[in-house]
Amino acid sequence: MAKIKIDHRKCTGCRLCEMACSLQHVENTFQPSRSRIRVFVHENLYFPVIAGPYTEAACNLQHVTMVDGQEFDACIFCRASCPVKPIFKEPDTGIPLKCDFCGEPPDPQCVSVCMNEALVLVEEEENKPQEKAG
Amino acid sequence: MDGWVGKILRVDLTTGNCTEEDLDLGLAKKFVGGSGLGTKILYDEIDPNIDALSPENKLIFATGPLTGTGAICGSRYMVITKSPLTDCVTSSNSGGYFGPELKFAGYDMIIFEGKAPEPIYLTVFDHQVELRSAKHLWGKDVPEVEKCIRSEASSPWEAEGTKILSIGQAGENLVKMSCIMNDTTRALGRSGVGAVMGSKNLKAVAVRGRKGVRVYDSQGFKDEMHAFLKDMQEVESIGWKARFNFGTWVIIQAMVNMRMLPTRNFQAGIIEGVPTPPEMREQILVKERSCFSCPFAGGRGSRITDPEFEGEGEGPEHESYTMLGPNCGITDLAAVTKASYICNEKGMDTISTGSTIACTMELYERGYIPEKDVPFPIRFGDKYAMVKLVEMMATREGIGDLLAEGSYRLAEHYGQPDVSMTVKKHEMPALHPQGYQGLALSYSTSNRGACHTKCNMVFGKRFEVEGTAELVKKGQDYTALLDAAGACWSIYSATRYLDDHLVRALETCTGAGYTKEVAMRTGERIYNLQRLFNLRAGITGNDDTLPRRILETPLLDGDNEGKVVMLGKMLPEYYQLRGWDKSGVPTPGKLEELGLTEEGGLLWQK
Ligand code: SF4
Ligand code: SF4
Ligand code: SF4
Repeated sequence: MAKIKIDHRKCTGCRLCEMACSLQHVENTFQPSRSRIRVFVHENLYFPVIAGPYTEAACNLQHVTMVDGQEFDACIFCRASCPVKPIFKEPDTGIPLKCDFCGEPPDPQCVSVCMNEALVLVEEEENKPQEKAG
Repeated sequence: MDGWVGKILRVDLTTGNCTEEDLDLGLAKKFVGGSGLGTKILYDEIDPNIDALSPENKLIFATGPLTGTGAICGSRYMVITKSPLTDCVTSSNSGGYFGPELKFAGYDMIIFEGKAPEPIYLTVFDHQVELRSAKHLWGKDVPEVEKCIRSEASSPWEAEGTKILSIGQAGENLVKMSCIMNDTTRALGRSGVGAVMGSKNLKAVAVRGRKGVRVYDSQGFKDEMHAFLKDMQEVESIGWKARFNFGTWVIIQAMVNMRMLPTRNFQAGIIEGVPTPPEMREQILVKERSCFSCPFAGGRGSRITDPEFEGEGEGPEHESYTMLGPNCGITDLAAVTKASYICNEKGMDTISTGSTIACTMELYERGYIPEKDVPFPIRFGDKYAMVKLVEMMATREGIGDLLAEGSYRLAEHYGQPDVSMTVKKHEMPALHPQGYQGLALSYSTSNRGACHTKCNMVFGKRFEVEGTAELVKKGQDYTALLDAAGACWSIYSATRYLDDHLVRALETCTGAGYTKEVAMRTGERIYNLQRLFNLRAGITGNDDTLPRRILETPLLDGDNEGKVVMLGKMLPEYYQLRGWDKSGVPTPGKLEELGLTEEGGLLWQK
């Protein structure tokens, strides 16, 4: 089973992945707000996050994540389409967005334009149990 | 409408009125966008003879159709205004994320006019436009301004998603080489555009948007993206890996190899002790950074550990290193990096800043500056003096006040205008023109004064005069097109190989009928329109020249030995190829051919 492997240290913040994803899902249009992958950019940190399941309510838990020696609000790296986040929602309707792996078989457009190998498609031989959506 | 988003935002700073206008599609096709459409609007709306720092000047931020698309390196936007440094029309270009975000917020362009009664900044969030007081931001430098504005956002994604341009203290102080910074370390760099913004009491613009940019032929566009990425991996001359590893530092090495690294105010073309790209990488690099849609990641997130000059930021790029370093007789990477950080924070063009300091050093060493005028000796090679002078220029402290006027006015003040290494009062960049005849011709004729970004870098044989005029003309027209389209000069001018990619991206993006021929003609039209503006502003063919030293005193190093610039030979041929008369004025026939008859009429109307 194929997986996208993200190595944020290799990401340079070009956002071509956002561009490719939105062109794939929105007719004739480049629109990062409708992309299923978003890259968080802060100084020297570039962190791609791929949209996962929708959640109705925010977690109660408050926590921080250390990345490359800096503390960040953990919600930044969470893939849920969640009420506390302005991303992973259709801007006009609020309908949650979720990565669909660009169809079946997977043809991830984001990976196809990531020249720096921050996103790579890896094949895994044995089928591991899939995470539940929703 | 494809490529263009179709709206212009006009902000009258005097009254606070913000209005939305439809983009005229006919004009857009004719002038594309960016510097092309921006120059057209400036040409139509202001008298080129006005004082650049008066409320009558306008400040136009313009994207191109490729800005904010997946076009490779489609990150660029431009500011178009009359320059206070040169009195020419200028178009300064920047990458980062601001330009694309402006289009996502729904605008191709923002036109600022008038002058705000007190400091303000503009926010544009999805067509929601608001002018806010910037009293609390005035006096602050660029990183702090961005931090302050971001602190108002309700989530980290919104904070970081807000893209900001601003001026630092230099722009507020009307420093004639001040720039406008976006994304903290990217600059709309040259010609003093920051001072124009400062003169309008406009501190910053913050944009955020969720809209999209439509393209005409989605499949064709996508194919072109992938064709580019494929070539990038396969064609050596595009230099992908070298750019990724070393950014523009590879140019420093090339200049060292060719002995055309401006040294001690252009008196030489080489200096001992310049670190190699791998050494620079090892000493200061923290992170390779991209602009929007750019896989090359030539931006250098960097850090200085030397306790004397400690700091963190981005760069220095080739231009910054050379002009603040070797051109001032300095090679110390830490000191130069520090100076370049200060320039970024205060919002100052590193090229003009470095060149003006070098000019000061030469004037001082030759005894033209009396001791009473200087707070400390200002000699070539003195890194402490250099760093200190950068600060003094930004705040106009002491002799910094005079330096802030640029090297031409400084040298003229001391009765030695020939010591200023400028064309049309614009400091020459970090490629020594005596090492390339074509480069020299492009500096002398460039519409914004000496500049490396207004002509293709490929010049054929270095010392050959034959055929050079034609290469320069073509390079300038092509670059005018690039600047209008919203693509990155640094990449698309690296090799002629990329012309086709640009035209294909532009055509699949807009569907406006840009064949290669139409596209190049469009570039030529834009170039001629800029020329018309300058002629009306009183800049003539007599100004198409170079500093006397470059024309008369040969360099002593390597291949350049004994070479001076043969401008007298190249210029008449260049004018002829351009369809201009002997004094460098476009002929009515040429203007008619380019569809500029009406614009040309204003020249003779005076
Ligand atoms: S395409 Fe790759 S390098 Fe570029 S932003 Fe996306 S993940 Fe990062
Ligand atoms: S963004 Fe993720 S971590 Fe944060 S509250 Fe929502 S679901 Fe929880
Ligand atoms: S795999 Fe497809 S849907 Fe998922 S983030 Fe990448 S481009 Fe978007």
